[in-house]
Amino acid sequence: MHRDRLIAMIAALGGSSTRDLCRACAEVLGVSGAGISVIGAAGSEPLCASDSTAARIEELQYTLGEGPCVEAHARRGPVAEPDLGGDAGARWPGFRAGALAAGAAAVFAFPLRVGAVRIGSLTVYQDAPGPLTDDQHRDALAMAEVAVHELLVAQAGDATGGTADRLAALGAYRAEVHQASGMISVQLDVSVAEGLVRLRAHAFREGRPLADVAADVVAHRIRLER
Amino acid sequence: MVVTRSERLAQTFVDLADTLVDEFDVVDLYALLAERCVELFDASQAGLLLADADGTLRLVAATNEAIELVELFQLQNDEGPCLDCYRSGEQVLVDDLGRGGTPWPLFARVAREAGFRSVNAFPLRLRDRVLGALNLFDVAPRPLDPADVAAAQAMADIASIGLLQYAALSDAQALAGQLTAALESRIAIEQAKGVIAERLGVGMDEAFDRLRRYARSHRRPLSGVAEEVVLGTLAPSDLSA
Repeated sequence: MHRDRLIAMIAALGGSSTRDLCRACAEVLGVSGAGISVIGAAGSEPLCASDSTAARIEELQYTLGEGPCVEAHARRGPVAEPDLGGDAGARWPGFRAGALAAGAAAVFAFPLRVGAVRIGSLTVYQDAPGPLTDDQHRDALAMAEVAVHELLVAQAGDATGGTADRLAALGAYRAEVHQASGMISVQLDVSVAEGLVRLRAHAFREGRPLADVAADVVAHRIRLER
Repeated sequence: MVVTRSERLAQTFVDLADTLVDEFDVVDLYALLAERCVELFDASQAGLLLADADGTLRLVAATNEAIELVELFQLQNDEGPCLDCYRSGEQVLVDDLGRGGTPWPLFARVAREAGFRSVNAFPLRLRDRVLGALNLFDVAPRPLDPADVAAAQAMADIASIGLLQYAALSDAQALAGQLTAALESRIAIEQAKGVIAERLGVGMDEAFDRLRRYARSHRRPLSGVAEEVVLGTLAPSDLSA
């Protein structure tokens, strides 16, 4: 219900690239701006931002190696700093000064993950201090879930169909989808993240529900080709 | 020496208190709760489900991960005692699935095919919210006695409280964060099961047992071990049979 509503809103915004994804995040959540960084062994790398302040926030974290996005990734959970200008001790001193100078007053970061596959963080900022509302927080968690699937597709270079179509095709949660991703990773000698992308691409090509294809993989009724 | 039920119950609470410190992990707490429910209430199988932001009930821990049982939990998003329990916030106790006039014909059929005759669902409540359900299955058609019903509800209440480990009671955002983290931990376990099952040529239930045994013998959280398997830093062959 909830994710469906977000997907409809993203579709209405007409986005098709990762850059549009950041703008959609900011608009759907009703915050000043949003940015996404991918995080690997070498640190964070800015991917997109809805405006120049959001871009600066991502850049600072890339340069300094500290900030909410890095922390959310490491903690595997959301991070909130509702008042960057307040007295919050030694938390991200370099980032804090730079973000304030760029025009941000509050920042919130949400990890982008599918189980053990963790690819980065979504960071949103507000130009006035204060917490997110419960609705904004809930929507941000859902947006992070939506964003991670789009990023996996983009990383795999397999962007078949439009964002809304792809997201709608994910369907409700089924354990088999994630079991099948793990199985395919072994069968094709790829990462589990790519296993998930390959599973989705197969379902899309065959025009079948993702959960059905996953159940076939788990039951060894089908095996994906390299 | 015969260990009485109240002694076993007391021991369970001691063990549960143990899991609430240090490297606390909701999935480990739920796995322990499910196992103890089976022992305490002479049930055949137990599982704990949490609802995600879309209201889909998702399995977080079960005593057995055979595909037939996992399916029984999953199909309750369409119909079944867990769904009714989650929607109403009330216990749903069914002592004989074989009796006619069930409100869930599909669930009753699949459950009976899997060998179960009675089923009980207890709500995971947090004040005015329902977070999920504790589901007990038994192969015998029999009612739970009133003392067991009360104790099982206490176990479900512990599951609710466990989600609030790091959250102030009023903090909806911290609760949402914990809920998401628990569901993501569970996804990591499903991914790891897939890797292990395919690599070692075993079923999903055996894959889970190996994961769990390794985590327990090394005193590590299940989700941490699952993550290492998925990332390839722990080889499935290193999980002993």
